[in-house]
Amino acid sequence: MADYEERRRLQGDEGSFSGRPAARGAGRPLPAICDPSRLLHRVVVLAFMCFLGFGSYFCYDSPAALQTQVLQDLNLNTAKFMQLYAWYSWPNVVLCFFGGFLLDRVFGIRLGTIIFSLFVCVGQVIFATGAIVNRFWLMEFGRLVFGIGGESLAVAQNTYAVNWFKGKELNLVFGLQLSMARLGSTVNMNIMGWVYSKIADLVGTGHTALGISLMIAAVTCLFSFMCALVLAFLDKRAERILHKEQGKTGEVIKLTDVKDFPFSLWLIFIICVGYYVAIFPFIGLGQVFFIEKFNFSPAEARAVNSIVYIISAPASPVLGFMVDKTGRNVVWVIIAVVTTLTAHMMLAFTFWNPWIAMSLLGISYSLLACALWPMVAFVVPEHQLGTAYGFMQSIQNLGLALIAIAAGAILDTRGYLVLEVFFCACICRQYFPSVLCVYRILVFQTSYLNQSAAVRAKLQKEAASDAE
Amino acid sequence: MAAVLVGRPVVFLLALLRSCSGSFAAEMSKRQLTVQLNPGSTAPPPDGDLLHVRAVGDNDTLHYLFCSQGAPTLLLVHTNSASSTVKVDWPLFLARNTSGSLRVEPESSILYSTAVVFSRLLEYDDVNDTANPSDFFPPYELQSFTWSHLNLSGPVAVLCGSNNSTGSLCLQLSVFDSEGRGQAWPRLKHTVDSSQMLVWLDGLLPRANRSRFLLELQAVGGANPLSRVEVHQSIDDEFTPSIFKVSQWVSSVNDSSGILGFVQWKPVAYRQPNPSLENATPCRHSDPRPQSGQMIAAASGLIQAFYLGPEAFGLNVSFGIATEPFYSATRFLSWTAVVGVGSPPVDSFSPLVVAIMAVGLGTPVALLLLGGVWVCVRKKATDSPAYEPIN
Repeated sequence: MADYEERRRLQGDEGSFSGRPAARGAGRPLPAICDPSRLLHRVVVLAFMCFLGFGSYFCYDSPAALQTQVLQDLNLNTAKFMQLYAWYSWPNVVLCFFGGFLLDRVFGIRLGTIIFSLFVCVGQVIFATGAIVNRFWLMEFGRLVFGIGGESLAVAQNTYAVNWFKGKELNLVFGLQLSMARLGSTVNMNIMGWVYSKIADLVGTGHTALGISLMIAAVTCLFSFMCALVLAFLDKRAERILHKEQGKTGEVIKLTDVKDFPFSLWLIFIICVGYYVAIFPFIGLGQVFFIEKFNFSPAEARAVNSIVYIISAPASPVLGFMVDKTGRNVVWVIIAVVTTLTAHMMLAFTFWNPWIAMSLLGISYSLLACALWPMVAFVVPEHQLGTAYGFMQSIQNLGLALIAIAAGAILDTRGYLVLEVFFCACICRQYFPSVLCVYRILVFQTSYLNQSAAVRAKLQKEAASDAE
Repeated sequence: MAAVLVGRPVVFLLALLRSCSGSFAAEMSKRQLTVQLNPGSTAPPPDGDLLHVRAVGDNDTLHYLFCSQGAPTLLLVHTNSASSTVKVDWPLFLARNTSGSLRVEPESSILYSTAVVFSRLLEYDDVNDTANPSDFFPPYELQSFTWSHLNLSGPVAVLCGSNNSTGSLCLQLSVFDSEGRGQAWPRLKHTVDSSQMLVWLDGLLPRANRSRFLLELQAVGGANPLSRVEVHQSIDDEFTPSIFKVSQWVSSVNDSSGILGFVQWKPVAYRQPNPSLENATPCRHSDPRPQSGQMIAAASGLIQAFYLGPEAFGLNVSFGIATEPFYSATRFLSWTAVVGVGSPPVDSFSPLVVAIMAVGLGTPVALLLLGGVWVCVRKKATDSPAYEPIN
């Protein structure tokens, strides 16, 4: 799932929010757990918020978790298999711009969340039904519906978090939600194979067993849907008690801003696309690679495939803190790109234990996310931030969809070595924008992108005193 | 200065390309092929054809003999003379009870000979889907199959046989005049010293719903029969996607003479006539075991006719592993091996991979260096005005 969490982590603080709890309503005191202004109640709400996204993250990677089974039971080639990922990304090429608008202006946060989680549920059910009746186009349609809901649900989750925790424990909340998302992916990677084997024992292997397994995965979406209902109720109740307003994403997307984007922002976009396409499609195709090349059992292969997510759950906050403290984002981005290249080359050209390479990939992926996404905020003015992030995500989804198809086709005709070399080339291409960034910095010493945190603080202070 | 710095990766690239093309050119030896069906025979023999392909090199000759008198057999005889010949005493050869009815002359020119006999097709019922061969059905003895006449098109011969029921087992022998690679997957590499054998099983009725098959192969030789299987790992799966191993059945090396002959294959079979990733199925092989030479001579006319005291090792190639689809799903299996003399071919990176790597890695390095120079120049340019006022 594309890196929406990073976007909201960064944007959340800056968005304009009016949902702050107002003065407490008069009347009889409530017990702490029921009182919306008390921490204990917010913790309860936080639990529902975290599980709101669990279903969609769980189901996003279900094709990867069941790669061998999907290929075999539906008699697909890899190019067709990767279409399942492409169909998730297609709607988000457009929706990234409108998710916030739909939530703010059309549905409102509560109804919007319910609708999007319903989309996720229905999408997964259609996907599973497609497998049961062995109709691949139906499965693709299911992934499309699922995609429409998935990314927008992340926006909604973010808005809820800001609404309830703004000015309190917001960063921690974002961190927890990110970890929860990764947990969803990890659990899915490691449990779906087992679920499938149990179902296969009952009904025999085949598309029916696959469909039933995916239907079981849909239960997590249903669970998330119920969380959406409960959240809507609690939010409504809080509004009544605290007289607060419904939350807003505060995203203002103006497509005309695009022409004002600075050159550095386009470089950041290129890095973003080129980098993520070498990570997510590879995870989608990884399982068979580890089985065939490294003689892993399917369970081991799924475990090593999920290590990227496992590492990123704890590493994201730690690395984020580190990048915040040290600054010099461009250097961190280059380090992440080089590490990723090393990891891919290890996978391509050696028989070294893939745990090493995949762990490296997990760390560098988290590092890049922490260093790259904040850079956007440094190069565009705050009022353009929504548009810039929307654009970045849109391009990212476009890249993911196209590369997913290309990767499948390469694997089908040329095998894993050429696929890995292709990914390496994708990453190598990242040198151009990164290196260009460095040159700009070396030449124009004032660039903010690569300054240390201390210098940044000083600059900010100066700017503040100038304003006064 | 810039030119020198930028020049380095370019030189590296050129060196890479040169080394590729260099090794390519060095091995571009050729052989002159002469194909002859039933050499010296007046009428087509009733129980199966004998194909003789004479591959003449600069100062040696490789004789490929392929025969379906009994179990299908491929015999390779390597001689150090460009004029060695094959002599067949047809009445004795067809009687199939004397050695020496097929000779390669002059006998002193023979460097090495090896043969592969496709002796049996085994079928077992894999009730629990473990792919652990047991519960065997009575084997198909390939010597008692009815074999068609050889269907020749250039240096490619097709032989099909059946057991009076539907379906057939076919073998396709391809002999090559130059180095290259098979057209269809697994796209095995072959040299001028090797031939390719494609075996496929088409439409044979399985005797159980969960049947899996094994092919029994016998390697026969005079002195140094193929006796051990080496499995090599390779990072290169470009020509056989998702297969990272290559198995080669070679003669045991006791002295420093190296490997004299080999059978090489990749552990993959295909479940459809058009091989692709989704119909690939892994295969495994058993360890080679010594076999009775007499038994094999009795099963194969060619072995009986050429070898006096044959030594043999046999192994099974089993198709499919646990949870892979059963034979009944497609009723088709194909498997390819390369049989040759000398050392087995070794795969190398294709120019495509080398080119992507060179461009992918080379250009950023070049850019880095070029940019470094530019920054230096630029800095100097911006620095110098700062000193001017002092002057």
